Amino acid sequence: MNEEKAPFPFNLIGKMMPAFPMMAVMGWMIVGVALLIGVFVLSPAQTTFFSDAKAVREGAATGSAFVQANVTRHAIAAWVPHFKFFGLGLGLMAIVMALGTIAKRLRHMGLIITKHMPADLRPAMPPPPKTVRLFQLGTVMGLMILMITLIVGIVLAVTIVPDYWNHSIANDLNTAEVGSGLLSQLGVVSSFAFWLNALRMVGMASLFTGISLALMVIIGTLRLQAKLLVGFYRQASGSREIEPAGAGVREPQLKPSPGLAVGSD
Amino acid sequence: MNSVATPKSPWQLKVYPIFSVLGWILIGLSFLIGLLVLTPTAIGYWGGSAKAVRDAAEAGTVLLGQLALLATVPLWLEPLVFVGVASFMVGIALESSSIPGLLKNRGLVMSACCPYLANTRSESQ
Repeated sequence: MNEEKAPFPFNLIGKMMPAFPMMAVMGWMIVGVALLIGVFVLSPAQTTFFSDAKAVREGAATGSAFVQANVTRHAIAAWVPHFKFFGLGLGLMAIVMALGTIAKRLRHMGLIITKHMPADLRPAMPPPPKTVRLFQLGTVMGLMILMITLIVGIVLAVTIVPDYWNHSIANDLNTAEVGSGLLSQLGVVSSFAFWLNALRMVGMASLFTGISLALMVIIGTLRLQAKLLVGFYRQASGSREIEPAGAGVREPQLKPSPGLAVGSD
Repeated sequence: MNSVATPKSPWQLKVYPIFSVLGWILIGLSFLIGLLVLTPTAIGYWGGSAKAVRDAAEAGTVLLGQLALLATVPLWLEPLVFVGVASFMVGIALESSSIPGLLKNRGLVMSACCPYLANTRSESQ
């Protein structure tokens, strides 16, 4: 009773599923790195920028420590939150992978139990549910969306964001005229968070859906196996007359069954 | 005495899709509002007028209306997104809560089936 191999890329995803602890650790490390960036880069930049009066920091010329600190704090704010959410996404993916592994083990357990059934009463092994593909796709899609938001954040953080903020606020930015490059850049740097942050949450929604569907696979597998086992019990108890068909059963008494290792000492 | 039967469909499995769909609706809606309302408004407000013009905007002008929109909508939009996230979590919790009942049923069914499985094995040896 060998399992059919899944087509690409599902075979690859299936092989990667047992590696969920590594994914969880990676996600945790990414969130930790985001914390370190906040503590050791963003926080000092903020401290530097707000270390003098408004007129002084806004009047500071391009190339000064104030303008540099302003560039740093805006550039970090453009990509680090997306990096952090990518780490969270890896953590959620690890949960989906763990659930997928549980579902796979349940199926394997079903195969083992089926082998112990008499050949004439042995039910045919049902194919893996289609939901397996859906939760794998949902998870990969969610992580891809988070990766895209991170890439867009990084691109903005190294292009438009530093280009715009690397100017004197009072002398260059506040005096920018309509139609100037600076004002167009201001339009971009002030608006991208409205759609990019929301897109990030769509990625998270996709990952939550992956978890939900993976749980559905586990629940569906448990229900189906219970149905097959009940069918087997009814047939076996009816045909062999060990117990009258349809009779009740007592609660498990934890006595080892001869020939079965399950539950024995 | 417990009868050997397939587990009944738990109520949680009927309710959880509502929460999952609600989560998608709220998060999708916030994405659409961000993309189609807030982003063009922000580009129009900050990218379309000089600072002096923005600062001098009078009551009732389009500029002040845009500023009010940009200052207020995110205040409720972000919590709305998190209501969506919470909906997903409620859905996942409901699904998970149906598993213990299924496992209990599995234990009963397995204990009923074990003698027959054991006989099978001893017969085959």
